[in-house]
Amino acid sequence: MDVSFIDQLWLARIPLFKGLGISVSISFLSIVAGTVLGVFVGLALVYGYRPVRWIVRGYTDFIRGTPVLVLVLASYYVLSAIGIDLGPFQAGVLALAVFCSSHVGELVRGALQSIPKGQTEAAKAIGLTFAQTFAYVLGPQALRQALPAWVNTAAEMVKASTLLSIIGVGELLLRTQEVISRTFMSLEFYFFAGFLYFVINYGIERFGRYVERKTAVPS
Amino acid sequence: MISKFTAAAGFVAAVLAGMPAHAQQASSKLDEVLSRGHLILGTGSTNAPWHFKSAEDKLQGFDVDMGRIIAKALFGDPEKIEFVNQSSDARIPNITTGKVDITCQFMTVTGERAQQVAFTIPYYREGVGLMLKADGKYGDYEALKAAGSSVTISVLQNVYAEDMVHAALPEAAVDQYESVDLIYQALESGRADAAATDQSSLAWYMTQNSGRYKDAGYGWNPQTYACGVRRGDQDWLNFVNTALHEAMTGVEFDFYAKSFKTWFGKDLTPPEIGFPVEYK
Repeated sequence: MDVSFIDQLWLARIPLFKGLGISVSISFLSIVAGTVLGVFVGLALVYGYRPVRWIVRGYTDFIRGTPVLVLVLASYYVLSAIGIDLGPFQAGVLALAVFCSSHVGELVRGALQSIPKGQTEAAKAIGLTFAQTFAYVLGPQALRQALPAWVNTAAEMVKASTLLSIIGVGELLLRTQEVISRTFMSLEFYFFAGFLYFVINYGIERFGRYVERKTAVPS
Repeated sequence: MISKFTAAAGFVAAVLAGMPAHAQQASSKLDEVLSRGHLILGTGSTNAPWHFKSAEDKLQGFDVDMGRIIAKALFGDPEKIEFVNQSSDARIPNITTGKVDITCQFMTVTGERAQQVAFTIPYYREGVGLMLKADGKYGDYEALKAAGSSVTISVLQNVYAEDMVHAALPEAAVDQYESVDLIYQALESGRADAAATDQSSLAWYMTQNSGRYKDAGYGWNPQTYACGVRRGDQDWLNFVNTALHEAMTGVEFDFYAKSFKTWFGKDLTPPEIGFPVEYK
């Protein structure tokens, strides 16, 4: 059994490798887009004018309260019903990026609000503009605060990418199921896929640690 | 997962219901497909022998061949297909939202579904069967039934699994397993005396492991498989029906029979020449 699993794995290497590539691309794109969007969401939540704040608050609460699966289905089916016809890959990345942005937005809000008000006031007193205050005073401190939770969110996005198999994106889980349907080796191939997901998430975790070390206050 | 999906699909359906229906087009899907130059077929990729990937990563199976029959009728070329890979749960939404021209994905015909999509004529009748080891203790269904409570049947985990087996073997012990490979393994290792699942799956497994297993010769729980198209386009439905019908009774019979032999391991008798078989 073991020998034939290795044979089957070798035979299935190309589809599984492609699936891994798609999973990594989905995760990477949605984490990057979600983080960029999320930073703006966080800023709007803390510094926005009241109407802006209300709208953005509504957005984050609505998105965070919706299962990712519903977001995935909505961006695939509902958008096409109103004339925006996205492919499964695009629709999936959009849904995950939106989901990611609401979580990152909350992380950024929490991190920014944890910085004492006196610092913003001090920055104003020495004549920094808002952009400068964020870039030199608040941003670096907020980054340190938000990083551990951000790693968590990024790992969640990798796991959420498996939901795109429902709308037919050939990511790692779907590719694994395809191989299983041919080889009838479910346990072996699911374990293998689990191992690959672990490797991706371990990579993200190491990356987070690396950035944490780089941005740590020298003591 | 399924119930979560059902809820999600319900939500999506509710949103869609609130939107104005697409303006009815004057021309049929048939014209649209012809001018596009290829068929967009919705099917899955994870169920042998219906729709699954070969070792070369090419989509194949009986459902896929039904699509090829339709493509051949449209363009004279069975390869002119663009596949939309979908999960079983996405079959109906992808038809109703127009993501696919047609779905052929072992879809069981039910009254409930027929209200949402238009079914073509059937292309296969599924049922549950029992698979035995070729050199095992029991020779056929009668022997299993006579043995009463001393036989154990391996079956896929399901709410109805117990009732399903008991409909055929009222006294048999039922062992439920997580996945198809495990029910076969239970039979192979002797933990079960027979494996009960869809006859198509059994037929495929028996063609893959020729000589090691045999069919107990009894089938129950009939289900009809048909392709589905969007409701309200009789022209397109008629075309697809004609293509499938002629594959089972007319000029494309050899194509259908070859596919049947490949995936289910059985030779079909050609339709009798003379009076049309449909009216017998």
